[in-house]
Amino acid sequence: MRLNTASEVISLSRRLEEEGAEVYEKLAQRRPDDAESLGAFARENRRFVTQVERAYYGVISDALEGGFAFDLEADDFEIGTDTAGAVAGGDAKAAVAMEERMIRFYEEAAEQSQSLMADLPRAFRLVVKKRRRRLESLSALS
Amino acid sequence: MAVLSEPIKEKMTLKNFIDGEWVDSKSNRMQDIVNPAKQQTIGQVPMSTKDDVDAAVAAAKEAFPDWRRTTPLARVRCLFRLKELLEENFERLSRIQSMEHGKTIDESRGETRRGIEMVEVATGIPSLMQGYNLEDIASGIDEYVIYQPKGVFCHIAPFNFPFMVPLWFIPFALATGNTFVNKPSPRDPISQYALAELVEEAGVPPGVYNVVQGGADAAKALMTHPDVEGVTFVGTSSVGREIYRTCGEQGKRAIVQGAAKNFMVVMPDADVDATIRALMTSFYGNTGQRCLSGANLVIVGKEEAFYKSFRDRFVEAASRIRMGYGLDESIQMGPMQAVDGKERVLGYIEKGLEEGADLILDGRKPEIQGDFPDTCFVGPSVFENVSPDMTIAREEIFGPVASVLRAADLDAAIDMVNASDYGNGNAIFTSSGKAAREYQYRVESGNVGINIGIVAPMAFFPFSGMKSSFFGVLHGQGRDAVRFFTESKVVIQRWFS
Repeated sequence: MRLNTASEVISLSRRLEEEGAEVYEKLAQRRPDDAESLGAFARENRRFVTQVERAYYGVISDALEGGFAFDLEADDFEIGTDTAGAVAGGDAKAAVAMEERMIRFYEEAAEQSQSLMADLPRAFRLVVKKRRRRLESLSALS
Repeated sequence: MAVLSEPIKEKMTLKNFIDGEWVDSKSNRMQDIVNPAKQQTIGQVPMSTKDDVDAAVAAAKEAFPDWRRTTPLARVRCLFRLKELLEENFERLSRIQSMEHGKTIDESRGETRRGIEMVEVATGIPSLMQGYNLEDIASGIDEYVIYQPKGVFCHIAPFNFPFMVPLWFIPFALATGNTFVNKPSPRDPISQYALAELVEEAGVPPGVYNVVQGGADAAKALMTHPDVEGVTFVGTSSVGREIYRTCGEQGKRAIVQGAAKNFMVVMPDADVDATIRALMTSFYGNTGQRCLSGANLVIVGKEEAFYKSFRDRFVEAASRIRMGYGLDESIQMGPMQAVDGKERVLGYIEKGLEEGADLILDGRKPEIQGDFPDTCFVGPSVFENVSPDMTIAREEIFGPVASVLRAADLDAAIDMVNASDYGNGNAIFTSSGKAAREYQYRVESGNVGINIGIVAPMAFFPFSGMKSSFFGVLHGQGRDAVRFFTESKVVIQRWFS
């Protein structure tokens, strides 16, 4: 499904972050030695939601292109039951793939939301930056 | 994608808010409030009488002396509390607007944000309201100016931005120490009803802020009331002109914002992708029911290839706009707010065809996403081969209809804009600083956009307007609003001992 409105993109971000957080919580149960860092990822996912929503609600304007700024294919970024299952089952490579997909989502969203004042693309890029740091930790798990 | 839940679960019966109490109108006449997408009655609003208005103005007049004596800091503390309450209720207020007006949820949230920004700026009154002074205008004599509140002000609200527009005035009036009577549009008064509840919760004293529901009778009673010092109005130019005349005769201050016919001038060197996105919002945002909406698209240049390619991109983008219920997050354009608005738009489309323009995108049979009656829906429409003298190029349609015109060069485009009766929010799209500067310098428009499709001034700048788009001297918002709601008192002092 193609997403065009800011509201859709923010909702997708919220859903993906929550799904990702739940996956990390399950993975943490499988890997007690890494539970602390995996739990931190889950909490961070939820903080991303807060940060992105704060940026969106702070700058959304009737005068900017909120309804027309985006053209994203939601299916390209879905975590999917296979990936979620693999990550929850302990497959760290699947976790890396999930994170890379999320990074692509936020990169594209940042690029396309340039017209919505600086705050929203900046919030998206901040999530990308923090996610890139995760990749190293996740690679180390495998 | 998700359809968001509706905050209004049961049909509401609205009341007036007078002297801190929610009271029934003395009128038995009620008007339905209809969700335009679903054609569902979501409430009823009383058509208040002159007696209701008299009671509200009397309460505001009685509250004025105490409120005036309340320190500016104490007054803005009420606004700080209101701001917090507005943030807490942000989503509910936004969804109410989508239900009562039909606009998309992104548009409603944008409207809520803009409204809150007005409150935020008005909290700066302890600084904004300060006067100025000069020592020794003559030997031992000093002179200074004090800005003092005047008394009771009122607002007569439009339907197109039911939540935001009253807030262009209310926070500034209250912060400067005036008292206020607001009359929301009877078509979509529920978000204002919710605002009044929050004003009450914020601790604004009884009588300082009052709401009288109703239509033209209540509006007339308000603007002619001898105890009302000033009137703020946003609506049509014909009504606005009459209000301004009446206020002038009665010695009242007035901010009267009227209609518009905005030109979006596209130069051959414009960034096409960014311009198209901006123009979609400009022409079709809020379903074209906005005094800052693009109405005439002027494509500049003699080169046929640029004209055709830009026109085609515009039409292609407009044809892809998803229409439906504003609480569906995927929707880019909602319905017209009411049936009469749709009929007016259809009438202009007929007129355009009669006068020889070509309808290259026809929105008369819109494709609606979801199972909703088409009662109020009209799709994005585009006319080509429009000349500046045609009715559709001159009159405000107030709907999702674009008229494409051509201008040989920038001079011709500016002449076209300046020939309009209106001067509200005109824009140029270009990558040339010289062209932009020339446009800004010469165009007769209160608000000017440079690569901006909706020239909506922020809360700390005045919402300007020229020609038949504005009647008055000072504008709403920002420092202009502070001056409008205060009188300059000049003191010259000398001490002999």
